[in-house]
Amino acid sequence: MEDLILELKKKIIESLNLEEMTPDDINADDALFGDGLGLDSIDALELIVLMEKDYGIKLASPAEGKAIFKSIRTIAEYVSNHRTK
Amino acid sequence: MVYCFADNVMSPLGVTTAENYQALREGCSALTSYASYSGRSEDDYVASRFTEQQRQQLMISGLTWFESLVYHSVNRALKDCCIDISSHRILFIVSTTKANIDHISSADYNSLQPAESAKRIASLLGLTIQPLVVCNACISGVAALVTAQRMLENGCYDTAIVVGCDVISHFVVSGFQSLKALSPEPCRPFDIERLGLNLGEAAATMILSVNKPETVSWQIVRGAIRNDGYHITSPSPKGEGCASVIKHVTEGIASDTLSAVNVHGTATMYNDQMESKAIESSGLSDIPINTLKGYYGHTLGASGILETIITMHSVSHGELLATLGFSEIGVSGKVNISSKPVSVSKRSFVKIISGFGGCNAAVYINASNDSEDFRVGKICDYSVTHSVNITPHSVIVDEKQIETDIAAGNILAEVYKRHIGSYPKFYKMDRLSQLGFVASELLLNQEHPRLQHCADRAVVLFNHTSSLWVDREYARSIVLGDDYFPSPSLFVYTLPNIVCGEIAVRNGYHAETSFYILPFKNEDMMHRVLTSTFLDHSIQSILAGWIDYVDESHFEAELKLIVKK
Repeated sequence: MEDLILELKKKIIESLNLEEMTPDDINADDALFGDGLGLDSIDALELIVLMEKDYGIKLASPAEGKAIFKSIRTIAEYVSNHRTK
Repeated sequence: MVYCFADNVMSPLGVTTAENYQALREGCSALTSYASYSGRSEDDYVASRFTEQQRQQLMISGLTWFESLVYHSVNRALKDCCIDISSHRILFIVSTTKANIDHISSADYNSLQPAESAKRIASLLGLTIQPLVVCNACISGVAALVTAQRMLENGCYDTAIVVGCDVISHFVVSGFQSLKALSPEPCRPFDIERLGLNLGEAAATMILSVNKPETVSWQIVRGAIRNDGYHITSPSPKGEGCASVIKHVTEGIASDTLSAVNVHGTATMYNDQMESKAIESSGLSDIPINTLKGYYGHTLGASGILETIITMHSVSHGELLATLGFSEIGVSGKVNISSKPVSVSKRSFVKIISGFGGCNAAVYINASNDSEDFRVGKICDYSVTHSVNITPHSVIVDEKQIETDIAAGNILAEVYKRHIGSYPKFYKMDRLSQLGFVASELLLNQEHPRLQHCADRAVVLFNHTSSLWVDREYARSIVLGDDYFPSPSLFVYTLPNIVCGEIAVRNGYHAETSFYILPFKNEDMMHRVLTSTFLDHSIQSILAGWIDYVDESHFEAELKLIVKK
């Protein structure tokens, strides 16, 4: 799980252009949206692309992703249970 | 106030306004299901498109599909009025979001970009003047009418030909799909079960004049454009920007003299909810509203003009058309919307529209007999208080070169790190927005105190190559193959007016934001647009100028802060 968390941090930094951040700056339990990492609705859409591209997980809408995209840890848990690649 | 002389709507439902209006009265919708471009069934979509047969009839040799539609629509509108088209006092405005983007992979795409395309159409029509392209995302059509009305009132022109058009393409369909904004079925505006919007292709033309026609005609009395200053794609939840344009155009008008409000009503969750809030907070909850998206889908650059024309004709006939697709209310703001046609007796209405980049626009239109005559507005001159110029070779602020490492590669990132910083969103922007952001920050830092969170500063920018750099980046993400993942964050920036939105969000600017595309850096035209922008009396200063990004070695920002004298 810790490996997957680190992998996700790196991928998210890259795909969301969090240029000045390193994996160490992100706590796996921090909120990704709102006050935490401050991601927005376009980032949520880009996370949906990342889920499908890298893990073969298809999400129909940001609403469906809401519970999954709470924190890096919730994403990691969902990915490890549902990944198809 | 300017007069509407002639109009045309060209859509899959008909090639004249009358044909279109008749089809709508009969309840016809052009929305149909189409197989996806990607070959994946989940990407199938519903849209309003011309049939292959219609397309063959309308296609003009030597022109693209987009250009053919624009040409036909303008040509038909011109047939209904006597205008000397060789006159230099004609303004030709093309409203479009993506013009010929369906040709992005073609080798001569440079000659197909919006302004070049508009130039070619103008010359084929016999016009001798330079065109002006309005590219303000979804509000482009209404924004073009507002620009035309103000430039006529500024005394520079006698006649304005305003045409809006967009066509369906893999580029745009995949983009809206990546934003999860498309409904898999015909859209249901304002309905509890709405699932998103449908796209549509159409062209619509309005000919405006300062001369009063002999017969009673419709007039554009007043228009306004305002930014939410909230987010580049999500509308402000309470709809303050939308309420603000309604307030501006209806000022001094008793609401019981209004027959209707034709809303944007795209059928996305956020748009319809936001509009309902804006209608309620403007005190217009009892006025009948409707939206035409259930017939045409969202026709992007055409939508504001097409919907204004259809509403003019329906109100002339004493009715407001049914909102097709609507059945049970699904918004929390109180609105008077119906799935049936509504009789109206007053001859005036408001058209509202909102779009990406955080922009909102409205026009107030009436057909009263006793309207005042046209008069030239009070011309406002301005003075330049600060300026900035950025090229790949230098960064100059108020005529002083500032320290930069030109050899650093990405000069914009270098300037951002060295002179600006602490705005991580910078790295998410496309290059045009990065250029606009860096230039506007350097410019505004010269101002003491720096103006923020205000409703009297507009952002008005011009360029030639639209959003070419990011258009190409996005196009790469939709090359069919195993790696087919259309990128939502790239697609958003393929609307060049997003740069205005970024500046408005950063600074809390709630006044007008506008983006124009020109065939070349035409100082005269830019001056005319800027002086006429000041005809909106709430605007006291404008962050204005030229901003073009082709590639790493070809870009330029020449921005200035101008203040009304």
